[in-house]
Amino acid sequence: MTRRTYLIKRVLQAIFSLWIIATLLFFLFRMGLPDPTAALITEGLNPEQRAAVRAQFGLEEPLWRQYTLFLTNAVQGEFGTSFSYRAPVADIVWDRLANTMILMLVAIVIAYGIGVPLGAWLSWRRGSRTDTAGIFVGLMFRSAPMFWTGMIAILIFGVGLSILPTSGMRTLPYDATGFWPKVLTLDFLWHAVLPVMIVALYYLGSPLLIMRNTMLEVYGEDFIEMARAKGLPERDILYRHAARNALLPVVTQLAVTIGLAAGGQVVVEVVFSWPGLGREILNAVRTSDFPLAQASFLVMAAFVISLNLLVDILYTTLDPRVSFR
Amino acid sequence: MTLPPFLRAAAGPLKLMVQDRLAVIGMCVLGFIIAMALFAPLLSTHDPRQINEIEDGSVLLRGPDGWALSDSLGPLALNDADTAAGEALIVGREGTVWARDGDGWTRRSVPTDADLNAVAIGPQGGALIVGAGGTILLRDGDGWTAIPAPAPAELRGVAWIDAATALAVGAGEEIWRIDTAAGTVEEVTSPVGRGFSLNSVARDVDGTLLAVGVRGLAIRYDPDTGTSLERLGSSRDLNHIHIAPGGAALVTGERGTLLRRDGTDWTTDPAPDTRALRAGWIDDDGRAVAVGRNGIVMEWDGAAWVLVDTESERHLRALLIDGDRWMALGSDRFVVRLAPPSAEHWFGTDHLGRDLYSQNVHGSQIALLVGFLGATLVVLIGTNVGLIAGYYRGRTETVLMRTVDVMYGIPFEPFALILVLLFQPSLLIVILAVSLLTWRTVARLIRSQVLSLRERPFVKAARVAGASDLRIMYLHIFPNVMPLVFLELAIIVGVSIIAEATLSFLGLGPPQSISWGGILHDARLSGAWRTAWWWNLPPGILIMTTVLSVFFISRSLEVVANPRLRARG
Repeated sequence: MTRRTYLIKRVLQAIFSLWIIATLLFFLFRMGLPDPTAALITEGLNPEQRAAVRAQFGLEEPLWRQYTLFLTNAVQGEFGTSFSYRAPVADIVWDRLANTMILMLVAIVIAYGIGVPLGAWLSWRRGSRTDTAGIFVGLMFRSAPMFWTGMIAILIFGVGLSILPTSGMRTLPYDATGFWPKVLTLDFLWHAVLPVMIVALYYLGSPLLIMRNTMLEVYGEDFIEMARAKGLPERDILYRHAARNALLPVVTQLAVTIGLAAGGQVVVEVVFSWPGLGREILNAVRTSDFPLAQASFLVMAAFVISLNLLVDILYTTLDPRVSFR
Repeated sequence: MTLPPFLRAAAGPLKLMVQDRLAVIGMCVLGFIIAMALFAPLLSTHDPRQINEIEDGSVLLRGPDGWALSDSLGPLALNDADTAAGEALIVGREGTVWARDGDGWTRRSVPTDADLNAVAIGPQGGALIVGAGGTILLRDGDGWTAIPAPAPAELRGVAWIDAATALAVGAGEEIWRIDTAAGTVEEVTSPVGRGFSLNSVARDVDGTLLAVGVRGLAIRYDPDTGTSLERLGSSRDLNHIHIAPGGAALVTGERGTLLRRDGTDWTTDPAPDTRALRAGWIDDDGRAVAVGRNGIVMEWDGAAWVLVDTESERHLRALLIDGDRWMALGSDRFVVRLAPPSAEHWFGTDHLGRDLYSQNVHGSQIALLVGFLGATLVVLIGTNVGLIAGYYRGRTETVLMRTVDVMYGIPFEPFALILVLLFQPSLLIVILAVSLLTWRTVARLIRSQVLSLRERPFVKAARVAGASDLRIMYLHIFPNVMPLVFLELAIIVGVSIIAEATLSFLGLGPPQSISWGGILHDARLSGAWRTAWWWNLPPGILIMTTVLSVFFISRSLEVVANPRLRARG
């Protein structure tokens, strides 16, 4: 199989997955919420307005018509109007997705940037007290639920020392149009410190442990003996020879992690009032805002799938040994 | 004794696990948590859902920054106090009498353990205490003697008429004239006679006495002419009356009732809070204060009543004003809200006064139930899918593995949220939400193992010998992936526990159940988590220790599953 046919096959697979998830989502919603506009009655919508909403989602049509309408709308990026925001769902979702991605990507980069060298170093000191302590700390942050570490961090840095802001992306009120003017400020950086730190600490454990364990396996290989025999300094053996060869499983883990990043960490967004997509889904669930919940989830899944695809393609470029099977 | 071969085979990995110090710690901790879940009702000190109340002889002192809680006077509620000529007396439940002794208080013994409701110090150093069961106590030197009552009435208030006689009023509209010299009690006829409760009595400036009671009832007693009705302008239940030497008077009552007399006219003042007021005090210079249930303290600022900050929710029943020293006394049973850890409540209490230690102990049940049930379900699905896909290959594999691929496109937390939105939160939905997506990893791992195992000679030999597909899959291949299955089981137990805690934290856990995530949800919702550290810390630490112990065990299982790690460790 050539690289080209592999790529085509992989893209088709991704589209297939997305279609399955969209179908699943549609039927889940029809099963759980036979009349999604029921939630609107309490908000004082008159019968005409309600009928208009029902027509927009095609709720009077037979099921298969509703389904095709849902699919065509989704493909066109037309998700209707949010019940609670009274604004186009698509605008809300894209804005929140960007907020989630910046938080997650920065945190993941930091976690892997620290975790990989630290894991390599721990493997070099294997069996020592430092090694045990490193494993312990890495596993500890992996075991502690993020909403709890987040609350504790707010208690310490926000309430106790009051040196860091604990909620939102910017100090309110702020005046910024668009994503980059909002993000490229010191104020944003200041607000991002705590949530990024909490997510990064949580993710730190896996690169640390994977790197350490793979390094231990690599140490047994002949080329390491060879390097030792040549009289290379331990530092060079560790970082230039062993670490490079131990990177592959870490990259695999990184790919999976980035792939799921769009799903975000709902609890971190909730605890730090970060206006991300995860928090939006929770709000939509609480207010029975079904167009928003449906669209957020679909966009999230689409993003997860495309990130997975992208990472897979990059992966074949990085490591030619991965066959196109 | 020789062990059967399969036990001997199992002993090897077990020995490896025992050698790993972290794994042993993990097993001990997990064992401890499991024991906690099993014996939760025995281990917890309270019912985790019960709202805890206690009684306390509470004292609030007025300082420059408002009314602050001071050292308690014993464990029993204080009901009334009086001061005159440099001495002060406090009475409370079950025969409690405290007398001021320098700067402190000493407990005085009295010949009764009935609840004492009121105390009055007379013009010539006499002192009278009245209480439940017709208790009347007269001070006699250093001790107290009981005056026999004509009926076992619940006496609520007492006031001196002159140096030798006093008037006591009671819950059955009793008006008793007490002759302290003769030790006799004479019943005075009430002008109402319908058994209305009289709650308090005070001596007015003209030598008559004024008693107040339920439904705005006010009765004036003139030692010469007897009783007569009086109108104060309120029909609420009145709890207490205080009259200053110059004629200013204050009556307090239910639902924030404040009746003030300035000269001769009674006015009803608007109160800043509508809860019950139990006691008031006023002087002729325009200073006044009223106290009530739930730590309510109001002060008169010359033009209006203002609510003053207090640091406590205790029920205040009496005031003791002696010069610049202002004390408020209570407290009958009050809810122990947000109490820091103590001998009674080891982990403190939450905003509803529920015991947090017991909640944390009970929380382990849900965590372990979801953790192990969810993980078993996940491993069951994942292993079978992996086995079947890896063994049969071909179209079966394609369908199953494409399904797994699709599942990798579904983000976990949002999916669980949607599931709970569409179907009401329940234990089943939480377990389903946890397990429906997690099996994807297990299926992929097991399949890749099975793919290499099925080409091994022992499988081919079994096939040649005529073994069925099922027999080969479950009797020949499965034992070889067992270590991997156990490793995954351990990891997923940890993942499930965190997932359950997360859902509960978001308020989407099984309703009416106590879980660690739910405790943190309550803490965040109440807003008190920023100060009540004892509320936040234990559940998080428990989640972390449980998951950590499972991870430690899984790490040593990894060594068992992957012999390549064994040599170097």
